[in-house]
Amino acid sequence: MSNALPTVLFVDDEERIVRSLRMLFRGRAEVLATTSGRQAIEWVRQRRVHVVVSDQRMPEVTGVEVLRAVAQHSPATMRILLTGYADLDAVTASVNDGEIFRFVEKPWDAQHLIGVVAEAAAIAEREFAAPARPALRAVEPPAAKMLVLESDGAIAAQVHELLPSAITIRHATSLEAALDVLADEDIAVMVAELTSAHGDVAASLKELKRIRPALLAIVISPLRDSRVVISLINEGQIFRFLLQPPVRELLRRGLIAALERHAELRSVAELQHRHTVEPSREPNTTLSGRLARYWQRLRGSALGVRAG
Amino acid sequence: MNTISQPAPRTDAAAATSSAADLAHLVQPAAAIAPDVHVLDVGERILDAANARFLSLPIVARGLPVGAISRSELMRIYLMPYGRELYGRRPISAMMSRRPLVLRIDTPIDEAARAIAAHIRNPITEDFIVTSRDGHYLGVGAVLDVLRAVEDKLTRHGAELERAHARLKASQLQLVQSEKMASLGQMVAGLVHEINTPLGYVRNNVEMTRDAMNDPTALADADTREDLATLLDDTLHGIGEIGELVGNLKDFSRLDQARSDRANVNVLVDGALRIVQHLVRKRGIEIVRHAGEIPDIECSPAQINQVLLNLLSNAVQAIEHDKGRITVRTQALDGRVLVLVEDNGKGITEENLSRIFDPFFTTKPVGQGTGLGLAIAHQIIEQHGGLVRVASKRGTGTRFLVALPIAQPKVPTR
Repeated sequence: MSNALPTVLFVDDEERIVRSLRMLFRGRAEVLATTSGRQAIEWVRQRRVHVVVSDQRMPEVTGVEVLRAVAQHSPATMRILLTGYADLDAVTASVNDGEIFRFVEKPWDAQHLIGVVAEAAAIAEREFAAPARPALRAVEPPAAKMLVLESDGAIAAQVHELLPSAITIRHATSLEAALDVLADEDIAVMVAELTSAHGDVAASLKELKRIRPALLAIVISPLRDSRVVISLINEGQIFRFLLQPPVRELLRRGLIAALERHAELRSVAELQHRHTVEPSREPNTTLSGRLARYWQRLRGSALGVRAG
Repeated sequence: MNTISQPAPRTDAAAATSSAADLAHLVQPAAAIAPDVHVLDVGERILDAANARFLSLPIVARGLPVGAISRSELMRIYLMPYGRELYGRRPISAMMSRRPLVLRIDTPIDEAARAIAAHIRNPITEDFIVTSRDGHYLGVGAVLDVLRAVEDKLTRHGAELERAHARLKASQLQLVQSEKMASLGQMVAGLVHEINTPLGYVRNNVEMTRDAMNDPTALADADTREDLATLLDDTLHGIGEIGELVGNLKDFSRLDQARSDRANVNVLVDGALRIVQHLVRKRGIEIVRHAGEIPDIECSPAQINQVLLNLLSNAVQAIEHDKGRITVRTQALDGRVLVLVEDNGKGITEENLSRIFDPFFTTKPVGQGTGLGLAIAHQIIEQHGGLVRVASKRGTGTRFLVALPIAQPKVPTR
């Protein structure tokens, strides 16, 4: 990592927020700050920006729209949403469209925000230094394996139907069965049905990301709770969040994007850093003891595709 | 409809079906009289205790009803001078009514009641004859029994209706409540964001100021001191903003007020405008406010707030372009206070305009509107003895006019 300060861009329609953040990051980053989403997108096109921190509710352009444009123009730039309130639509859009690194709520904790931005900046710096991403076309058509975790077979059937037959699809009806499959086989993408906010499935998704950053999770859930999604973003770096029953086209696009991203992550290991998660904040999301054996196996499994 | 497939044995006609909806349970077996039986013999039969409950007896030939003889007709004959002697030996067919009321056993009770009403004269002198579906004689039905059956049915229906009404009322209350919660939820979501934004920089600024105070070198720097002064000004501004937002919310949520309170609609309008301010500002909508001199009115301020909030948020939602303008005008006229809310949004089609006050009518996507907002507003205005009018043109905008009486006409019932 170079000694130069990383460039961090703040976008918020309230100028006092912008002023306050500029002050907070003085000496810690090269700060760009604006009250205009359009200006922010323009800057990202013109220069190398390590991290963009954006508000969600803004006139003209929403935060998710800004971050989506940023992802398009500068995929290596890390994206963080900093907002006072976000409804479920905004939060799911931030995962599915913005593919954000963290969701931080106002009023923020200064040390936490500094830490998150520094971490994001370091990841972006490594990525800027890494070999260029392969163009998507150059990515091998993935003969990858997929795992569907759900109680009945409805989603698995839909996934089968949506994907080319070259892709192997495993179906597990219990978490234990899913962890077994994960220990034995090299799974690229996991589609998981999430019916409880605090159960083992949510905790496992977070833990899995820690062990296998290249494993991408598509969560399908009836839970219309933005808190659940925020914790899955921050602590589980899930790839997509779809409300149950999933819209066919959204599921299809999510599956294809996940397979492509997985192939990318495997070809450029540096990219896996962007899937770094933060430790779980809720004590009740810790995994129950009955799963300990499975985790031991999983951690010991040689299949984990680690960076480096 | 419950029917019997075979002509039932006479005595079992009632038992053959259990339906309360047709005549099956009303039919009573009565020994039929052949047409050639003498009048005197018929007289004997009608005096028989077994037939005491019948007003008339059926005359049946080869299983088919051909007429009926009523108790009153026999009495008329007997009371005539020499009536018994003159007519006693004649066959009953000569004296019988040739057009008795004949109803099939599967006739619904309601239809039977209609037929009876059309056929029978006052005073009631005849019962009716019940036949199988193919016209064969089964028994006699009493008019009174039909009346009782109809009454039973009405009572049952009445009870059912009452239960249905109670259920509807309960679910309506629930819906009204959920509409309130939906608007409240929307409002709270906006306010949470509005409050968390100043809270964000206030907290950060205070933390930074505290850190700077522990750092003598930072404090020695003139630029830093200047920056800190700016941050503290921002902080005070933010605290003022939070205080104002909380104050608005407090004024707005005083749901305990009675209808008989006095309030100035200008104050209520300004309060509602502050509540929707975040929506308005985010969409760059211009607010044009004409506040006329108006007297206080007797009203439930919280309910009028609900009406105003509904009209304003509808106006905001109707605007889909970036040159939005909402005009709010208040004035006094003929013992009333008028509130005009006009937007330059997309307007309402003529077809929809007639339905906008209907409960559950909404043009918003599923899950985004309960279709109760304007219905409730309409109800509130009516309860206040006021009225609401709407005019709209596609692509030009919509104008709502609310007129509220200055004094409530009578003591509110609630």
